[in-house]
Amino acid sequence: MLGRRLCVVKIGGSLLRDSKSYIESAQKIREVFVENGYKAIIVVSAAKGVTDKLVQVAKGSQEALRHIVEKYLEVAKELNSVKVIKRVNEELKRLEIVAGAINRSGVDLSLYDFLLSFGERISKILLVGALEATGVNALELHADELIVTNETFSDASIDYISTSANLEKLYSSIVDSPTIPVIEGFIGSTIDGRITTLGRGGSDYTATAIASLLNIDRVYLVTDVDGIMTADPDIVENAKLVRTMSYRESLEASLHGAKRINPKAFEPLEKFYSSKLIIGSWSKFGTEIVKEIPRELWGPKVIMNRASQDMSYMAIVGEGTSSVQFIRNVLEIIDRNGIEILGLQSYVHRPSLLVYVSSTYELKTLHLLHKELFEGV
Amino acid sequence: MGRRVKVLLIGFGSVGRALAKVIALKRKIINSRYGILIDVVGVADSKGMALKAEGFDEYELLKLCEVPRSGVNLFKPYAHQGVDLNILYSNTQPDVHVELTPSEYTSGEPGLSNIMYAIDRGAHVVTANKAPLVLKYKEIVSRALSRGVRIKFRATVLGGTPFISTLTSMRSHDVERIEGILNATSNFILTEMHEKLVEFTDALKMAQALGIAEADPTLDIDGVDAAAKIVIISNILERPLKIEEINRESISRVSLRDIIDAVRQGYVIKSIASFDVRGGKASIRIAKIPRSELFAQINGVMNGVRIRSDATEVVFIGRGGGGIETAHSVLDDIVSLSFEDS
Ligand SMILES: NC(=O)c1ccc[n+]([C@@H]2O[C@H](COP(=O)([O-])OP(=O)(O)OC[C@H]3O[C@@H](n4cnc5c(N)ncnc54)[C@H](OP(=O)(O)O)[C@@H]3O)[C@@H](O)[C@H]2O)c1
Repeated sequence: MLGRRLCVVKIGGSLLRDSKSYIESAQKIREVFVENGYKAIIVVSAAKGVTDKLVQVAKGSQEALRHIVEKYLEVAKELNSVKVIKRVNEELKRLEIVAGAINRSGVDLSLYDFLLSFGERISKILLVGALEATGVNALELHADELIVTNETFSDASIDYISTSANLEKLYSSIVDSPTIPVIEGFIGSTIDGRITTLGRGGSDYTATAIASLLNIDRVYLVTDVDGIMTADPDIVENAKLVRTMSYRESLEASLHGAKRINPKAFEPLEKFYSSKLIIGSWSKFGTEIVKEIPRELWGPKVIMNRASQDMSYMAIVGEGTSSVQFIRNVLEIIDRNGIEILGLQSYVHRPSLLVYVSSTYELKTLHLLHKELFEGV
Repeated sequence: MGRRVKVLLIGFGSVGRALAKVIALKRKIINSRYGILIDVVGVADSKGMALKAEGFDEYELLKLCEVPRSGVNLFKPYAHQGVDLNILYSNTQPDVHVELTPSEYTSGEPGLSNIMYAIDRGAHVVTANKAPLVLKYKEIVSRALSRGVRIKFRATVLGGTPFISTLTSMRSHDVERIEGILNATSNFILTEMHEKLVEFTDALKMAQALGIAEADPTLDIDGVDAAAKIVIISNILERPLKIEEINRESISRVSLRDIIDAVRQGYVIKSIASFDVRGGKASIRIAKIPRSELFAQINGVMNGVRIRSDATEVVFIGRGGGGIETAHSVLDDIVSLSFEDS
């Protein structure tokens, strides 16, 4: 493409905390992508905490509404552009009207999703304003015109065929222009134009859908951590970055509640084009997620302690963790250390092994298994 | 490269923006299919204008859509404060004038003067603004004829469908009756009342929240918009009516009670516009329609019209409005004007 490499870059809400962070993100987009000759399609989340506040607004909280208005107006003022301030004010006015209507109508699902969509929509206007303030030509795309979904409000799935037709038309008309397109993550619309949302973490899904439908090789998911860790670093201090994972491993980890990626995000990658996911922060992109990993990279990737009903379990995720050999290895470690387990669960076709323990042993087992499986040489 | 057609967009609200977007996305395709290259050379809203004689490129058109309302004057470096058609015309020499200002039924302004100005300067006109046609159809059409330019207005009635072009082309027919649901906003409100069992005011709030009804919804709910459409239809059929001659009932007087009673008896309540062509009479009335009838099943923002002639009956169902749909009708008009010119 004119010698410019295309990529999709999702800016997570954890990076968008306050008025400074929009400018910072814009500068980083410029340094990391634009100046290195990348044409990035930016997928933006709502500012940190805003979606939660919108959920409260839907329940009638005036307080939450005020919080959002103040937060977004503050960012807009910081950008010091008449255009951005007016636009944000227009959107906030609409938000107030929608909030007013939602309290009267009770639960109308389409209105609820419309309300939630303001978090991303305003965030996009702000990021485009910030990019322009840093000297980057940026262009707003509109998820409600491009991303077509089914009618499952609040957890919609993307209609890939219609979406792909929309994306291609848009793409061909802007590919030659020197501009960085920015689209809201998390939102879409039904074929008859009602706004839907894609579920928690839906911005990842937006990013992977766009990349796979446009055959784009790389999707960067930028957050405030350097990548996926072998365990929760707040609990296991020796947790390390996982360099490479397969889609399957990563999907399995999210099914066990790793909060990094929305499971639906893998669907377009499996169905259409297998873009590589690159996860990390502006200082380090530590983890790559690819369609398949070579045999020599098989083995445990992450361990998580989880609870289901009143039992705790360790989920060890990675290709090969359901093999007899690996299970024997784990049992040996457990036996050697005198830990009692309540059960084991694994299926050959899934890259995980679950070890159930009573909650008294939970942390001990986690540390032990992490040490033996991940910290060895 | 196809023949250039220079276009001015006067009015840059929801239809104007949707049109700019659609042109940005489709002008290359239209050029390769029909050899017509649409160049938007100027855009105006109530506070200012932006002009570029060479035509805005795709990126600029999309970027224009990002300006706030009344913000065309912020579109640097092409912006001017205030609107002055003389400046726009002298600098850009447009082929087609697209009128997308609000419909205002007392004076027809600013649309009426703008359209007359365009005709006098030799530009073809496409309008989505109904008011000038409603008030001065004859004058506009004969003035255009005498200046050798044409006026098209497919977006004004059932804007999301080719209703107007079909009606215009039924030349050998004696059209006897035209009847249907002509206003998307009031149909949406009535549908909400039936489906959610809410009072009119709550349904209106909902319509406003979703951007379907305007802050001031009077023209839609009181039937003025539907009556205006009937006036345009009556002029096409050369049986011109005046808008004051059309009896109107407002949907604001429909209560939830009425709806429930109607449903119990197997009916739904709709706002029906009808024009008895022979009798030269028209009305916008609140009607109880048996649930099995076609119009009872046209819900939400959909519109539907039945044309009955001495030879046949045709039905149109489609989106009455909506920015993107209306914009496509406007664009179709621009393309067909350009065809006829070549
Ligand atoms: N919306 C639909 O689906 C639909 C369908 C069929 C037909 N129509 C008709 O199409 C027309 C446009 O509709 P819309 O929904 O786009 O309305 P809108 O959103 O209210 O936009 C009207 C535009 O006209 C501008 N304007 C007002 N006075 C002007 C003046 N003196 N000179 C230049 N511009 C002026 C306004 O400027 P500001 O931005 O500065 O206020 C605004 O940009 C209306 O006549 C409507 O009846 C609409």
